[in-house]
Amino acid sequence: MLRAASRSSTTSRPKQPTAASELSIVCTLKRGDFCLQLNDTLPLNGITALFGRSGCGKTSLLRAIAGLDRHPAAQIHFGETPWQHGKHFVPVHQRRIGMVFQESSLLPHLSVKQNLLYGYHRLSKTSPRHLQPAQVIEWLELAALLPQKPEQLSGGQRQRVALGRALLSQPQLLLLDEPLASLDQQSRNEIQPFLQRIARQSGIPMLLVSHQLDEVVKLADQLVLMQDGRIHSQGPLPQQLLQPELAASGAMSLLYATSSGCQGHLLQLTIGEQQLQLPAPLHSTIEETDAATPATYRLRIQARDVALSLQPLTDSSVSNQLQVRITGFNLAPHPAETLVQLDLAGQPLQALLTKQSVERLGLQLGQLVYAQIKAVALD
Amino acid sequence: MIELTAQDWQAIQLTLKLCLYTTLILLLLGTPLAWWLAQGQSRVRTAIQAVVALPLVLPPTVLGFYLLLLLGPHGAVGGTLEQLGFHHLAFSFSGILIGSVIYSLPFTVQPLLESFRRMGPRPLEVAQTLGAGKLDQLFSVVLPLCRGGFIVAATLTFAHTLGEFGVILMLGGSIPGETQVLSVLIYDHTEAMNYSQAHQLSLGLLIAAFVVLFIVYGLNKRFDRGQLT
Repeated sequence: MLRAASRSSTTSRPKQPTAASELSIVCTLKRGDFCLQLNDTLPLNGITALFGRSGCGKTSLLRAIAGLDRHPAAQIHFGETPWQHGKHFVPVHQRRIGMVFQESSLLPHLSVKQNLLYGYHRLSKTSPRHLQPAQVIEWLELAALLPQKPEQLSGGQRQRVALGRALLSQPQLLLLDEPLASLDQQSRNEIQPFLQRIARQSGIPMLLVSHQLDEVVKLADQLVLMQDGRIHSQGPLPQQLLQPELAASGAMSLLYATSSGCQGHLLQLTIGEQQLQLPAPLHSTIEETDAATPATYRLRIQARDVALSLQPLTDSSVSNQLQVRITGFNLAPHPAETLVQLDLAGQPLQALLTKQSVERLGLQLGQLVYAQIKAVALD
Repeated sequence: MIELTAQDWQAIQLTLKLCLYTTLILLLLGTPLAWWLAQGQSRVRTAIQAVVALPLVLPPTVLGFYLLLLLGPHGAVGGTLEQLGFHHLAFSFSGILIGSVIYSLPFTVQPLLESFRRMGPRPLEVAQTLGAGKLDQLFSVVLPLCRGGFIVAATLTFAHTLGEFGVILMLGGSIPGETQVLSVLIYDHTEAMNYSQAHQLSLGLLIAAFVVLFIVYGLNKRFDRGQLT
């Protein structure tokens, strides 16, 4: 079972157009029952997901950062630059942020091309233009759509144009407010690779609001977990996936692996000292002799697709077998099950086992066992 | 046959002038007012909206009466002007212009309010995040998206001022070249039993009003959008 996707390379990152590496926000807001209470610093590096249930304050946080909602006592600093502090308030149009809204937000009286260039044409003469229209049009495959009117486009196409428009305004920060939520699964799958590609190639940090874990796991580098108007926890995605709050929506793990090339349609991956083999994505452009520039892949592994054994299995069809160390036991959503936390060369991995199996094998903290990985989704 | 007297022509000219001035002034005043009203619901907004709609329900004579008191030589406005060495505003073109502006206010504000509400806040939020300042937003987003609303507001205001009678009669009387607009002149002709002349002007006004409304409804259909796609 292999859900194929695009290739991820960390080798050719262009220069960062932004100097700021974090965004700090202090904000208290009461609106009826809802209460937003923040005193946090968010990383600005790659894609940071703001994850939580509907109504937990993700969108409010994003709008405060953008400056679309002005909360009197809030303090927002983009790196060293104050965006809001006391009476000082940088208006939205001077913050140099790009924003993609949940539902389509193309200006209906303008063509796709005019929409794309709306922000680009409003840049001041002196401001840098890291991204050129031709580049963005190519990334997002928009060339054929340029003369059309927004009403002629499908939902997925509209969001691609909105993304391109935001990028061309040369933002130092891209805010994505559930940009895929209003789309069907097919359009989602169509846009996700674009988002990854853009985060990688443009180097613009992104804050992605989402309430869908699989989307977050596919896209994000960091995860900020929000609950009831507060930031519950934040950190790198692989570590954050161990949070019990996330296990409720289907525990999974994210492993980063380096590829050392392809052998007979099998992708050779390395994690630490250990090897994995996976069917290479058929329709992606993996060069067979690419050992010189190792690429990093993201492996998404459902906890229920991981089995444990005390000895390496030799008579099993599962060929991906890795030695791991048990680092903890967590409650699983189902009372008969346990989430076993494992360490694989410094990366966390989770296995969902029944309590009975854990007892039968006599699994202990710190024990070395073998993890059989039955299914991997590759990004 | 159509035979318009110099007096008729003068009245036509005066009427068009009044309609044009009223429309221009109301677009300037009504746009920010409608914009403010569209920004949400509050008790003050509801009250202002009710005041704006008052001319729709009040008899024109009531409005005309109070304006006459206010703008006349002993009124708060007229009296002050007299003291400052100006002329009071009753029975003058300026007077009926003020009356028209108040009387036609709802016909400007309502269509604008509706088109602003239909547009919603999102297009402006989008424009802001793309670096557009306030004035830029007005010209690059609000005017094109609410074009239909502006055209309908302007035409309705013009047409409604064309049919104004009671307020002008109360406030302006019937002074040729100053306050004697078409509707008043038709009344004068009828009072003087000049039925054929009254008929000519009435028919002309009827046709003009129909054409204007026909255009408005046509435009309404054409501009029946403004939602973001």
